[in-house]
Amino acid sequence: MSEIDSLKSELRVLEEQALASFTQATDLLALQALRVQYLGKKGALTNVLKGVGRLSAEERPVIGQFVNQVKDALTAALDAAEATLSVAEKAKRIEAERLDITLAGRKANKGAIHPVQQGLNEMCAIFAQMGFEIAEGPEVEDEFHNFDALNIPQEHPARAMHDTFFFHADEAQQAKLLRTHTSPVQIRTMKGCVDSGGQPPLAVVAPGRVYRCDYDVTHSPMFHQVEVFKVDKDVSMAHLKGVLKHFLSTYFEKDLPIRLRPHYFPFTEPSAEVDVGCVFCAGKGCRICKGSGWLEVLGSGMIHPNVLKAVGIDSSVYSGFAFGLGVERLVMLKHGIPDLRLFFENDVRFLRRMGA
Amino acid sequence: MKIPFSWLKEHVQLTKAPKDIADDLVRLGHEVESIALPQAGVLGVRIGQILDMKPHPDADKLKLLKLDLGEAEPLAIVCGASNMKQGDKVPVATVGTNLPNGLTIKQGKIRGEVSFGMCCSVAELGLAEDADGLLILPTDAPVGMEVGAYLELEEAVLDLDITPNRGDCMSARGLARDLAADGNLPLIAPDEEPADVSDSVAVPSVQVTASNDCPLYMARRIEGVAVSDAPDWIKARLLAAGQRSINGVVDIINYTMLDLGQPMHAFDADKLTGGLHVRATVEGESFLALDGREITLHAGNIVIADDKAVVALAGIMGSEHTGVTETTTNIVLESAAFRAALISTTRRTHGLVSESSMRFERGVDPEMIAVAMNQATLLILELFGGSASEVITIGDADTLVKHKVVNTSIARIESRLGLTIPESADDVLNRMGFVVTRKEGLLEVEVPSHRHDVSLAEDISEEYARVIGFDAIPEVLPSLATIKPHAVDTAMSSATAAGFVQVINYAFISPAEQRLFTAADDKDLVLQNPISDAMSVMRRSVWPGLLNTAKHNMNRQQAGVMLVEQGRVYEKFDTEKNKETNVIAWLMTGQIQADAWYAKANKADFFDLKGAVEAWLENRGLVARFMAEENKLGLQAGQCAKIFVGKAVVGFIGKVDTDIASNFDLASDVFVAEINLDVLNAGKKAKFQPIPEFPSVERDLVFLFDKKHSSEAILQEVRKAGGQTLVEAGIFDRYIGKGVPEGFVSLGIRFVLQDAKRTLTQDDSDAAMKSIIKAMADKFAAELRG
Repeated sequence: MSEIDSLKSELRVLEEQALASFTQATDLLALQALRVQYLGKKGALTNVLKGVGRLSAEERPVIGQFVNQVKDALTAALDAAEATLSVAEKAKRIEAERLDITLAGRKANKGAIHPVQQGLNEMCAIFAQMGFEIAEGPEVEDEFHNFDALNIPQEHPARAMHDTFFFHADEAQQAKLLRTHTSPVQIRTMKGCVDSGGQPPLAVVAPGRVYRCDYDVTHSPMFHQVEVFKVDKDVSMAHLKGVLKHFLSTYFEKDLPIRLRPHYFPFTEPSAEVDVGCVFCAGKGCRICKGSGWLEVLGSGMIHPNVLKAVGIDSSVYSGFAFGLGVERLVMLKHGIPDLRLFFENDVRFLRRMGA
Repeated sequence: MKIPFSWLKEHVQLTKAPKDIADDLVRLGHEVESIALPQAGVLGVRIGQILDMKPHPDADKLKLLKLDLGEAEPLAIVCGASNMKQGDKVPVATVGTNLPNGLTIKQGKIRGEVSFGMCCSVAELGLAEDADGLLILPTDAPVGMEVGAYLELEEAVLDLDITPNRGDCMSARGLARDLAADGNLPLIAPDEEPADVSDSVAVPSVQVTASNDCPLYMARRIEGVAVSDAPDWIKARLLAAGQRSINGVVDIINYTMLDLGQPMHAFDADKLTGGLHVRATVEGESFLALDGREITLHAGNIVIADDKAVVALAGIMGSEHTGVTETTTNIVLESAAFRAALISTTRRTHGLVSESSMRFERGVDPEMIAVAMNQATLLILELFGGSASEVITIGDADTLVKHKVVNTSIARIESRLGLTIPESADDVLNRMGFVVTRKEGLLEVEVPSHRHDVSLAEDISEEYARVIGFDAIPEVLPSLATIKPHAVDTAMSSATAAGFVQVINYAFISPAEQRLFTAADDKDLVLQNPISDAMSVMRRSVWPGLLNTAKHNMNRQQAGVMLVEQGRVYEKFDTEKNKETNVIAWLMTGQIQADAWYAKANKADFFDLKGAVEAWLENRGLVARFMAEENKLGLQAGQCAKIFVGKAVVGFIGKVDTDIASNFDLASDVFVAEINLDVLNAGKKAKFQPIPEFPSVERDLVFLFDKKHSSEAILQEVRKAGGQTLVEAGIFDRYIGKGVPEGFVSLGIRFVLQDAKRTLTQDDSDAAMKSIIKAMADKFAAELRG
């Protein structure tokens, strides 16, 4: 056998061996080792090529071509085997990584904003969008801001209806009380504006806690109110109705009718109780609205000239509307919460359920 | 105030149904709380006559009755009352009747005797709060008739909530006046035929020295009356209006008040000593009120006194001894005007309230003073006989009834209401007693004497709004005012996002709770009239409330709670001001991680809460420092810290003393924190910083430290020694135990080095480490561990 034929047969044997070993390989690592073994710099194929030096110049390209064919065949076979194995290995890994995805997720503890706070936030946001500025005032008040300046003089029957909490007074200290409504913020804001040389327009929303000495199933000694008022030239009762309508429809996320009924509050004239179409029965009449189709939601009116006078605003130039709404009542109506006491019992099961 | 529909109809010819009238009243500003139909409640209760009455053989207090209800057979009933006798007519609830108190009448056996119904008292008929004995009906009551029909209960009774400004509407006549004007119906004039006067009866002697507070006082004497029960129609009306029948004269006085709105008083003339004197009191005078209470009066109260004693607290209540009884024969009748504000103050000072004071403090119609005097006299003379004296009048009736005049303009009213005022509205006001004159846009309104609440242009605008109807006012959105931007407060949302549940507790707590975390001093704000001792002092810490909430929840099968509250704490500041501070406070106790397939259950510790507080502050762009605090009342030393932001103390954090915790039934460790929101900047806005361009290098070193050094102190020195490129340093490992000598702790510190302008070299980080190692050795004698 000539040198060249002997080389060729050596290469054929090598090729067969190699191809057979490739099929034996069970993982990519083994396959990589075989690639090095046969095709690497010091691999079997290179080794065979060392014999090329013995060939004539004519024979060399022939054997070169032959070697390349073998190399290509092996490379192709290796690539193919590698592809097959990597698909299989990936499939195996995927199988191994299979989860019971119905197991509970790793959850952080669920916090919640108190429903009353949410209500306050929503209400203030609606009024802020309408151009009302947020203001706050003290809860420990005096009689001037809570009563006198609001046109509720000492002997006024309405004063007795307020069930006021009083503090033990020190000598020299004027009587202190817990504010019975957020209306004193009206006085403080208007007076503050006038005292610092300002004049209306004023448009204010004042959220906060208020206190009444009354404690039973439907009364809490502490609750929340939002006071809203606007003072400017030519503010009318039509504006009051417009703002109420917009607010109540936005808050309840429904286009609800409103109804004003004449009422009496010392600090407004005219005064009106405000009803909103029942959110539960759309005005048809149900248990919640006692069949009337209306829910009483708040008290309102045009600011009494004596109130403007008390803060130094000229009522022949300026007029204003004001209303105060009970936050708990509106939140109860919006979410169908049946009992006021739930808000202050603070059971976390209730709070998490209602909370956002 | 309750008013039967028929009573209104006596003053105005109403043609509408009660429900429609109720709607009209609401539109006019008189809230109708309910329309009661008493008859519906007593259907099946019929008039029965007692044919036979025998004692129950087995029970001393029970009687066996045979009653004629107009049927073929008499009805057998076992009865427990004792005020009836044979021949009496009584209301009988027959089998199947549902009484207003919820009782359903069934056939039954009482101690062996069969009973086919029940005889009723006024209380059982739902006509009064309480009663002693059966309601004995008049002898001419027709047997078998429905009691509801007989007592004229067939009509509706309106229950009204009259607002404090409308004292003039606390009577049938007052309401009728509004309804008549509104419906354009004639108001029927009161009986104006003057009562017969006998010259032989002397006019009572009256002296008024408090004429400012009593501008008009009328009195007359009636002699020789024979007081008996008021007739049924008066009793029925009083009953329907929710008033008890007392005796004939008192019932007439009360009837007149409900009818015309004028409160009156009747004295037993024979129990008076000398003449009547309307005067101011001197401090300390005593008065024995009608309800038997002895009241010590203050200076400046107005009373009616005789020569011996105070016989009435003017406009509020008569005295126990001088009232009219069944045996009275001579009467002094009073009809007067008293200053509203004074009545209000006096009755409140003494904790009294009466139908009379309710009307006087709201303002009554002065035009009715004489009318009521006449009407009550007529009724007394007609029903109980006797002869009346002339009326003595002290004060100027004309001044009292003088009409005020309000001058304004149509434009002013229209701009206040946002509504055009039609001239037809003037007519309604005129019918209500106003006199309206329009002239070139100007408006002059004369106000009737009974409308004490109307004196300003704004009051006139309300009258117009009422008569036109609030529904006619359009809904108009005002133009936007200048908006001052409103910063969103994220204090609460950032806390709840971290898993805390927001609670809202009462701002008042018990004095004992106050002392848990605040030492006694003179800054407590204490309520004078608390709901209870447990709610009597304004909180100076939110923690007691949080502990109560934790207790409430842990008692309800919670394994752990994470609570947060935002609110104020209160204290006395100086004589004029009080301090209200906004705080946010946290509480953590028990399991904050439940057993789960991926984690073991984990109970809250100091660092859980500290981490939450740190993260909350970081969300506001603030970095806090914590310094050990040994003496914080109610918190355990060694697990308690002051929280600093910059140089300011902003709050405290720590473990609640275990004795306190167990007082709240809290078995696990309880951790609390409180931060003063007023001293924090209102949340700094995040400022832009470029993302670092060059990579950072991380290095770890482990040192052995003496335990006495706090990690805060160590890291402070690390930061100093690390130079500008040290951007982060933190303890990643802490070990005490085998291989660490007693009294020492092994701390692994991880450093992150970075330069904004270039990539750091090996030499750079080596230099930094070298400097840190030296500093640790110098400052803390700390050795590097292998």
